[in-house]
Amino acid sequence: MRIELDRPRCEGHGLCEEAAPALMHLDDDGELVIDVPEVDGDQAVAAAKAAVRVCPVAALRLVTV
Amino acid sequence: MTARRIVVVGNGIAGLTACDSLRAAGFDGELTVVGAERHSPYSRPALSKALLHGGDGLAAHELPAPTHGADEWLGVSATRLDAGARRVMLDGGGSLPYDGLVIASGSRARRLGGSAEAGYDGELTLRTLEDAVRLKELVAGRPSVMVVGGGPLGMEVASGCLHSGCDVTLVTDGEPLVRQLGSHLSGIFTAAARTSGLRIVNGSKARLIRSGTTPQVALADGTVLEADLLVSAVGDEPNVEWLEGSGLLTDGVLRVDSRGRVRPDIVAAGDVAFFPTQRGLSRVPLWTSAIDQAKAAAVGLLLGDEAPPLEFQPYFWTEAFGLSLKSVGFTPVEGTPHFLEQGAGAASALLRWEHADGSGTAAAINYRIPIPKLRRLANTGSQVARAAEPVTA
Repeated sequence: MRIELDRPRCEGHGLCEEAAPALMHLDDDGELVIDVPEVDGDQAVAAAKAAVRVCPVAALRLVTV
Repeated sequence: MTARRIVVVGNGIAGLTACDSLRAAGFDGELTVVGAERHSPYSRPALSKALLHGGDGLAAHELPAPTHGADEWLGVSATRLDAGARRVMLDGGGSLPYDGLVIASGSRARRLGGSAEAGYDGELTLRTLEDAVRLKELVAGRPSVMVVGGGPLGMEVASGCLHSGCDVTLVTDGEPLVRQLGSHLSGIFTAAARTSGLRIVNGSKARLIRSGTTPQVALADGTVLEADLLVSAVGDEPNVEWLEGSGLLTDGVLRVDSRGRVRPDIVAAGDVAFFPTQRGLSRVPLWTSAIDQAKAAAVGLLLGDEAPPLEFQPYFWTEAFGLSLKSVGFTPVEGTPHFLEQGAGAASALLRWEHADGSGTAAAINYRIPIPKLRRLANTGSQVARAAEPVTA
């Protein structure tokens, strides 16, 4: 699975970082950085799903590659 | 609890998160979610923000399609609960049996002028996607607009209508946002609102005295106001009517414990539920609150006392009149804040208040900051703020 970011939609809430700190973070300028775009394994996929779900502007998607 | 069949009543963000969390916690039984709205879950906060302010179509609220694999019944309401027989009755006559039940039936807009069942009577509210689409269509004709309610929703709606070129009056009982955020943040938003051209009328006990075309509102001091369009934003009412007679309500409200439980086989989450917080039993009808509650409740339903209790810390954001506020911690906040950092723009700032119990509230205005960092500031800000000087209001 791959995490995709629709950057123009991102408002920098960073709730995704709280849900999946191992996969993504907001940098010092408040821009979201996907540290691990390709995820596999139950734990990583579950964290990625949680990050996608918590975004109030749906800026993240998890797509099957 | 060894549930094989779980029913979730409510398909907003709380219901959706409960379904996801049940699956994530290993529940692989039969899962059914019943939602009164005809849509899969969407982002309600976006309705009064990006959707109302934006000019680029109607997509700001859309969320990715659910992946929980539950049977989704859309446009179906629960009408009654038989908690003894473990069965949810539905409109249309059907019913669903369960071993475990998640109550996430949400809330609805409170109205000045009674029920909306009779159809449009001149008073609009903003709660559902249909409400938002309708408001956006009407506002495009640039009517004069009266918004009743000086909370975050009323301010966002007023801002969106101004942005669309309408002449807008906000009717508010007390200064806007004072009750929700406190006087300092209220002052910042109210100043920006006035600069943007918002007319603010301060008066209590607003009531609808004429409905239909050119609705009129009367205030306690006798003032009568009218506009082409009336939008009320005067709070919400939890959807608990279907639980009457179930034995689940206490003094008419639905209370849960720190694991979301009403009783071992029934949990509740989201706008419908009163849950324990550091500030007592509260209903906190906000996006992140619904998500946090639903996660805790899903695990509470599966694991009972072994589930971790919810340690709730509010996160809230609002956007209006060119200001974007993100806030972590309990509000309203009293007095002047400790200034943490001035941002790049004139209005950009990071602020913190310390409460008597040692906890804190951190707020970022037009200042991009990751929420985990904002939470750390709220929790441990005293060290960060040590060298800072208090600002004068």
